[in-house]
Amino acid sequence: MKYSYIKPRQKSAFTAEIQLLVIFFFITLGMLFITYLFLLFKDYNFLSDMDEMATAQSELSVNIEDMKEQITFIEKENLLAQRVYTQNTVLKDSIANLFDLVPQRITLSEAKLLENGLILYGVTPNKDIYNFMLQAPLRSIFHRTYSSFYPAQNGWLRFVSTNYIDEEINFSQEIDSEN
Amino acid sequence: MLGKFFESLYLKVFVNIVVKNSTTDVYIELCSSKGVIDNAEDSFNTTKMSEEMLEFITSYTRESPFSYFSLLDMSPSQGAIPTCSKNKLSYYYDISASEYKCHDKKWTYYTSKSDLYDIEKRYKDIGIDFVFSPFSILVNFFKDKVSSHHAMYILVQEGFISLCVFDNSELLFAQHLDMEKITESDDLLMDDADDILDLDDGIDLEDIDVMDAEDSLEDFGDIEDLDSLEEIDEFSENKDVEEEFYHEEDAELAPSDESGFNEDYQRFSLIQSSINHFYKDDKYESKFIENVYIADGVGISSDLKRYLEEEMFLSVYVRHLELGAEVSELARIEVGL
Repeated sequence: MKYSYIKPRQKSAFTAEIQLLVIFFFITLGMLFITYLFLLFKDYNFLSDMDEMATAQSELSVNIEDMKEQITFIEKENLLAQRVYTQNTVLKDSIANLFDLVPQRITLSEAKLLENGLILYGVTPNKDIYNFMLQAPLRSIFHRTYSSFYPAQNGWLRFVSTNYIDEEINFSQEIDSEN
Repeated sequence: MLGKFFESLYLKVFVNIVVKNSTTDVYIELCSSKGVIDNAEDSFNTTKMSEEMLEFITSYTRESPFSYFSLLDMSPSQGAIPTCSKNKLSYYYDISASEYKCHDKKWTYYTSKSDLYDIEKRYKDIGIDFVFSPFSILVNFFKDKVSSHHAMYILVQEGFISLCVFDNSELLFAQHLDMEKITESDDLLMDDADDILDLDDGIDLEDIDVMDAEDSLEDFGDIEDLDSLEEIDEFSENKDVEEEFYHEEDAELAPSDESGFNEDYQRFSLIQSSINHFYKDDKYESKFIENVYIADGVGISSDLKRYLEEEMFLSVYVRHLELGAEVSELARIEVGL
């Protein structure tokens, strides 16, 4: 202030119009930044979703493999069960047939089923009845039959009948017969 | 930094207001860092802030926040003092109710505080940034002469005369004269007229210095009585002759020139009385004035120059001055352009 009595008022380039312009400019910038952040978040979200889906897909693939294995296992179990059932049925029929083989006059006290044989314990009035009525059908079934007797207290005979099937012999016989 | 950058983008608008008797001149300059780009001026038939004036100003200032409003101080209670020492200021003028400013640590100019408040209140719609003293205008306008000459410098405005005497940048005397105020008191004018007659007899005054004071006063009184009647008659005759001459020369401009003639005579009277005051008052260091430089802000006629030259034997130089432009120049200096 060289000549004037009073000091000039403070001048500023930031007039009301400029302030309005700057405010709008910053609002626009803010909105752009917010949009950018939103897109960034959506992108991140999309990527993480993609990762999660890829993980879920791999997990599902693993699960599918497990399930396939389980299915295979269950199918095997089913086959086994069917075989066991069939075997049991066969066995039941065999036992029923076995008991049908035993005549009325002979009483069985114990029967042991072996893998390739049958051991019968019982009481017979005499050897003939046993030989004709039980041993004959057993011989037709089993390859080897051994019988042993010992007397009971009431005069009857206790017997032990051991019967075996020779599968190899049976197999070789079948081959021989085929040849 | 950012502010400076924004400032460089805008033009600076200098609005300069010069209040006259019944009108207000508004001079506007648009400046860039390279200089003045454009200017505009208008005159309004009011001395206050009118809607029309406000509209004219805002049409330029609304484009830039860097608008500076300057006003030429028209306070009648202003002046200048030939010292900057605070202890000596009161010797010349009671500045307790004045706002003052020291110029180059050599002299002081002052104005009434209440008038400054009045200005700020009157222009509160736009706000005033600078208020300049006519003496600042005068010194800046005659800066090439003030620094190296001993002379009287006169700023002639409408209704006001600001005059000061400089001797190689040293202020010897200054006075701000309100023509309207002095016109109202006819007695004062008549007294001045008597003083004029006293001063006219410069040779007599020199003689008086040699003689005793009382005798000289008596003798002087006698001379005054004898001469005054004749001279007043002569002067009235001269005036008539001049008016007649004027009517013959410039018949078309008669009404304005007649008033101009009266005003110029009034100005001459005021200048004469001021010079008398300068010579007589012991407060001021009296040095004989030979040259007078007039800054003409109103368009004075050649009569004033002729009066001063013929009646007071002064060498008179007149320079035309555009007050608005000069105020604007000071404002630009203040801002640093």
